[in-house]
Amino acid sequence: MSGNESKVTRMIILGPAAKISQSELVGKLHMLELPLTIKSTCYGSVIHGEEKDVLDAVSKIRKLDPPNIFTKDRGFPPGDPRRCRAKRGGAREGFHQLEKEFELLGYVGEALDCPEVVDLKEPGKISPEEFRKIAWECEK
Amino acid sequence: MKVAIFPPNSLILADLVERKGHEALVLQKEIRKKVTDPEIDSPPFNITEEEPIKGLKYAAIEVPSGIRGRMAIFGPLIEEAEAAIIMEDAPYGFGCIGCARTNELSMYFLRKRGIPLLEIHYPNTRDGTMEVVNKINTFLDELKAKEA
Repeated sequence: MSGNESKVTRMIILGPAAKISQSELVGKLHMLELPLTIKSTCYGSVIHGEEKDVLDAVSKIRKLDPPNIFTKDRGFPPGDPRRCRAKRGGAREGFHQLEKEFELLGYVGEALDCPEVVDLKEPGKISPEEFRKIAWECEK
Repeated sequence: MKVAIFPPNSLILADLVERKGHEALVLQKEIRKKVTDPEIDSPPFNITEEEPIKGLKYAAIEVPSGIRGRMAIFGPLIEEAEAAIIMEDAPYGFGCIGCARTNELSMYFLRKRGIPLLEIHYPNTRDGTMEVVNKINTFLDELKAKEA
């Protein structure tokens, strides 16, 4: 376990509208020639290594399809027997959450593709006088 | 800027925060410290009797130890936060492994901090999702403008 404390793990998740496949993603990650542990998964891949290399890989991979490649930190390293499905059986903890969020990733990608500036203020109530004025204007 | 997100392990929130150049304060970073430590005092995780004691800073002694233990992990992230995004009504399993009371307490502490806060609801439709993403991006852009 020595030296593992400075290493980080990232999940790279492909959205439903992604232009690359999981195998292509893993191929591209290998082509970066960074000292990383790369694991192919059903949703994309898991990469593990020094923080600098992991963030470098994430920024380069995101450029392939920015609105459809998502990343998330992971606490456990890839293949950790405390979490890995191969050792425990059943779905990995966190899988159901990922499954639920995956349902929205397509829409998130769409929103990222065509961004809009919105007002963050909640619509408030108007005064009766103002409402009366609007009603009069509508009647004209 | 350090942005706390709630649920603290949300993929969508963490990803959007990082896309805008901010640092997302996610639960996984705290968990990593616990599970990659060479000395695991209490396998499989390094959650020991110390955690509920640390949690006393956030909750009273009458509060169940599970909540105090969870707060010992999530509490430091709340203290570190410079801004926050809270997404309510997330499906069961989100947040502190579905502990409703910890979720309530965490949201209470985030609101009490007085930092810039965006409150949204978990979307279920296409239009809802697009509105939520646009709101988050606008909020994060405003934070960046304040920082500059």
